[in-house]
Amino acid sequence: MRARFTLNGAPVETDVAPASMLLDLVRERGLTGTKEGCAVGICGVCTVLVDDRPVSSCLYLCGFLDGADVWTVEGLVEREPELADAFVECEGMQCGICTPGQVVAAAALRLRSPGAGAAEVREELAGNLCRCTGYETIVEAVMRYLERS
Amino acid sequence: MSQAEALIDNPAGARSSGSARLDAAAKAAGAARYAGDVVLEGMAHAAVWRSPLPHALIRGARLEAARAAPGVLGVFRAEDLDAGLFGRRVRDLPVLASGKVRFVGEPVVAVVAERREQAEAAVALVEVDLDERPAVLDARRALGSAEVLVHDAPWRYEGAVVAESDGPNLQSRVRHGREEATQAALAAAEFVVDRMYRTVAGHPGYLEPQACVAQIEEDGTVQLWASDKSPYRVRQQLADTFGVDPRSVVLNPILIGGDFGGKGSPTIVPLCVALARAVGRPVRIALRYSEDLVAASPRHPATMRVRLASDGDGRLVALRLDAVIDGGAYAALKPVPTVGLHGMELVGSSYRIPNLYLDARVAYTNSVPKGHVRAPGSPQVTFAFESALDELAAKVEVDPIEIRRRNLLTTGEANPHGARFVELRGREVLEAALAAFERRSGPPGWRTGWGIGVYDRETAAGKTSIRLRSTPGGGVRAEIPVPETGTGSHTVVREGLARLLGIDRALVEVAQVSTGALPYDVGVGASRVTAGMSTVLERAAQLWSMRQGDEVVAEIDGGGDERVTSFCVQIAQVAVDPESGEVRVLELLSALDCAEVLHPAAHRMQIDGGAVMGFGFACLEDLRIEDGQVWAANLGEFRLASSRDAPPLKTVLVTGSRGLGALDVKSVGELTNVPVAAAIANALAAATGVRLRELPITAERVHGALARRGEP
Repeated sequence: MRARFTLNGAPVETDVAPASMLLDLVRERGLTGTKEGCAVGICGVCTVLVDDRPVSSCLYLCGFLDGADVWTVEGLVEREPELADAFVECEGMQCGICTPGQVVAAAALRLRSPGAGAAEVREELAGNLCRCTGYETIVEAVMRYLERS
Repeated sequence: MSQAEALIDNPAGARSSGSARLDAAAKAAGAARYAGDVVLEGMAHAAVWRSPLPHALIRGARLEAARAAPGVLGVFRAEDLDAGLFGRRVRDLPVLASGKVRFVGEPVVAVVAERREQAEAAVALVEVDLDERPAVLDARRALGSAEVLVHDAPWRYEGAVVAESDGPNLQSRVRHGREEATQAALAAAEFVVDRMYRTVAGHPGYLEPQACVAQIEEDGTVQLWASDKSPYRVRQQLADTFGVDPRSVVLNPILIGGDFGGKGSPTIVPLCVALARAVGRPVRIALRYSEDLVAASPRHPATMRVRLASDGDGRLVALRLDAVIDGGAYAALKPVPTVGLHGMELVGSSYRIPNLYLDARVAYTNSVPKGHVRAPGSPQVTFAFESALDELAAKVEVDPIEIRRRNLLTTGEANPHGARFVELRGREVLEAALAAFERRSGPPGWRTGWGIGVYDRETAAGKTSIRLRSTPGGGVRAEIPVPETGTGSHTVVREGLARLLGIDRALVEVAQVSTGALPYDVGVGASRVTAGMSTVLERAAQLWSMRQGDEVVAEIDGGGDERVTSFCVQIAQVAVDPESGEVRVLELLSALDCAEVLHPAAHRMQIDGGAVMGFGFACLEDLRIEDGQVWAANLGEFRLASSRDAPPLKTVLVTGSRGLGALDVKSVGELTNVPVAAAIANALAAATGVRLRELPITAERVHGALARRGEP
């Protein structure tokens, strides 16, 4: 099928297999910041924004893409440099494999609940697993980003 | 420049102006590159057909449909590939199963196709005739009966540490200490506890599934990008498997998306190499996470009988540990000379115990081969020992704190395994933990209690190397052999070098280089990277000050003569819902002794992340291996702690400790994940009187135990 959507602000028109996954589509377009983790929508490693909501791109069918507004980590940090800055300054990462998903989830949280406190951040980020950090510095990074924007 | 050379320029090889970790900006922007992101021209994709049975003879296979499927370049069985057996110490692991399958999930047929989806679709068309055999699924049964043999002659494998005269299905056995004296002391002691403790299999939980890309050059050189943390070891292991010169195998620098021990078990790398040779094109294998859960290398489940005795004052007089450990279908993933779990073998190391004996056996079973996971053996045995210590304290009617005060080693004493350290600060760390402890209240109607766990771990340097080069503007580029697994190891090199040379960190560049570029390194593991890198940096800095040209290479094999160890004392506070059995950790306090901290954020995250991982081991994680099958085969079933699950953490750094070398460092990576389970189990007992000797501590188990006592 033909799909017309925007990806990181730029219009895209392309043929997609309706049952293929958005994760593979963005990666094949060179946007490899979006990683494959659990592939069943649990871990949040592959999170992207679709129409301002965080979705697991490993489960998002390209058949739904027509008309969608899609943002990956690459586009979001270009749009909002303070997003990446907060994660760098607070060192909200170790191995980094979950970091793009955390960054996208933070952007989504600001759109939904810009005044979120630490407890709400913890609750809202529960869909983005991290095995390395113990979450403390990630929560700090998200808080710093929310406070600044 | 070849494709391989173009990729060698490591994205992590960077300078930064601030104090943040070197790779922070790339990681936050999605620009950091991992093995799964490597794309080579002409690269094909592999997928594997895995055994659905735990033990079966392979009678034949029908591969025509798979061969005819769209995009398929080749379909391979073991006999089609020119590869020997693989292993980190014992070489018993075939690249593809040959003759028989020994666990559910074992690779039997590999398909290479133009696209990953095509390879996976063709795998679904593979038909293998399996003749099911009785399986041995229980480690104790495997050791006790020759009725089912996982391997006919395990002593024949290269690197085997067992003999034909040993009992059936034995991977390894470690016995040490004094058996007779220990038995006599147990028999004569005033108080004895004799208990069984059990832990289950858990996946390391890295969020990057294992991935590998292999390319064979015209002269036969193998270029690899693999999510593996020990590149020089893998190079040697591949050379052994394929009978080639190690110099013809090159592991290229690449970031690793979490390790926790599991990225030292490169189960897919030899297969990837064999397939790239067979199809004459670069080949990529990226495991789906479910495959990683089912067939990578989880933590060893253990059944541990602990006999612990004291005099009338609670002073320990004897400890005996008899452990039966499920090693799974292959021994190949254990890297140490004993082919065991060294943490298990160091039971009781923090305490004064005059009589000690241990017997730890690892069994072959028809289940997924087990590997080394963050502090291998220590979380299991520390759960057992520290629980038993509380049970003994209750018998003696001594406070759990007091029994530890009376028995923790102090500086000058040898530990029960004969090791002598420059200082022993267990008592100081214990007092610091108690001083920081504040009671928290639980929800109304819930019962609360707190418990303690203690662990100590030696810091060791290992064998490693480094090259320093001058860069324009008075800077230095450090080329190092260790991959960045996430711990901040490259940043620690920047910090250490800046200190030793007395230059600004902005002048220091750090890059991992390929295995062709430096002398041997043992790889990431055993909490050794900061210690090893610090030690080799010290040597390199000396050479640097006397250099003739503009580069120096330094090598070390171990640290100095002084031995140091680090103590970690954890106190868990729990609230237990008597209705449901839910256990909520109100706070997890970790106190640990530390020397100089080279990068505070990286240090802190090793502590925080370890504590949360330990919490997962204690309360959440279970691969649920039943009938030889991993049932928790996705991350919804195998639960890693989320930000919502993670308990509130409190950390006390007991500074002023003496570390290794001029940079005065101690290891930290495998401390706080270890005593958590005992601390929570002890807290649960204090809160409710329920003593769980089996992990994980779930609401169901607690509810069941309360119900058996007629509660709620």
